[in-house]
Amino acid sequence: MHELSLAQGLLEQLKSICSEHGATKITKVSLSIGKQSGIVIDSFEFGFEILSKDEAITENAVLEILTVDPTSRCMDCKATFAGFEYTSCKHCNSTNLRSYGGDDLVLTQVEME
Amino acid sequence: MCDTCGCPTPDDHFEHKKLVVDINQSLLKANNEQAQKNKIHIESLGAVGINMISSPGSGKTTLLEQTIEKLSPRFKIGVIEGDIETERDAERIRAKGVPVVQITTGGACHLDARLVHKGIHQLVDQGHEHFDIIFIENVGNLVCPATFDLGEHQRIVLLSVPEGSDKPAKYPKPFQSSDGFLITKTDLLPYFDFSIEESKREALLLNPDLFIFELSSTTGKGMEAWLSYLDELQNSGEKTP
Repeated sequence: MHELSLAQGLLEQLKSICSEHGATKITKVSLSIGKQSGIVIDSFEFGFEILSKDEAITENAVLEILTVDPTSRCMDCKATFAGFEYTSCKHCNSTNLRSYGGDDLVLTQVEME
Repeated sequence: MCDTCGCPTPDDHFEHKKLVVDINQSLLKANNEQAQKNKIHIESLGAVGINMISSPGSGKTTLLEQTIEKLSPRFKIGVIEGDIETERDAERIRAKGVPVVQITTGGACHLDARLVHKGIHQLVDQGHEHFDIIFIENVGNLVCPATFDLGEHQRIVLLSVPEGSDKPAKYPKPFQSSDGFLITKTDLLPYFDFSIEESKREALLLNPDLFIFELSSTTGKGMEAWLSYLDELQNSGEKTP
C-alpha cells in the first residue's frame, strides 16, 4: 500500500514533537495499528527502519507496534466478539455480522531524551 | 561502558532525562478531517458525492458515460476523474457535455481527500454553483482506494464479469467499506466462468448491508435499477438543498 509515505509522515510528526518538547533524540515510538486498516506491518517497519536512519533525532528510535482487533457484532443475537475473520456468529450462527473499529493507525506514545 | 547511554566509562554517565509523552493521534486523521470538509462542500453545492472504486478496466468510465446519457440534463452531474496519467477519461466524460476535472496522481495508487478537495474547487471554478450528483471515479485499483475516505456519501465498488467471482473474498476491503456493489459487463456471462451467486454470497458475508445490482453498460440490461437508485439517493434529502 502506502506504508513508506505513512512512515515518512510519522517521522515528520516525530521531529516536530521532539522540538516541541525540547528533546534531542527519540528513543521509542509506540503505535497501534488496526488489523482492518489495510496497513502491512512488515512493510511499515521496513519503511520506518530505512527513513529513521536518515536523521540523527530518530536514528536510534525503537518502534513498538500494538495490533488492534476490530470487534464483530451479531445483528441478530447482539453478541460481540473480537476479530473480523468470522463469517457466522459464534453463538447463533447468523451471518448477519458487522465489524467495527480496528481500522486506524494511531501514534500512542513517544519516548524522548 | 555505561549501558544506558553508551558513554565510555560508568563514571562519565550522566542522568539522562527521559521524557515520555502520550500522543494518541491518528496518522490517518489529516485525511479524515479533510474528507469531512469535502462532504460539507459537496452538500453546500446541493449534491450527493459518489466514490466509485474498482480494478482498472471494470467499466467505471463506460458506466458513467451511460449514466450521464440517461440522467443529464434532468440531473446536473459533475465528475472528478482520478487516474495515474492522461486526460483520456476526462475527455470521454467531457464529450457527454458535463463538467469534469481530471486529477492525475502521477503514480499514487488512490485518490485522497486533499486531491478531491482540489477537484471540487476546480469543478466549481468552471462556473458551476450547483450540482445534483458529483461522481468521483477513483484510480483503478481494488486495494488502496478503500482506505481513504474522500468525503463521499456513497461508495460503490464495481466488479466486472471477466475478473472472476472470487474477488470479494480475495479483496475484501472495498466490499466491506462500500454501500453498493455493481456486477458489470454481465453481457459477457456466457463467455466466462463467473458465478453471480458466489460473488453475491461472499460479498454479503463481508458486508450484509451491501445493495447489489447486476448490469451491462453495453446492452443497457440492469441499468434501470442503478438509475432509480441514483434517483432515490438524489431525492432522499441526505444532503442540504
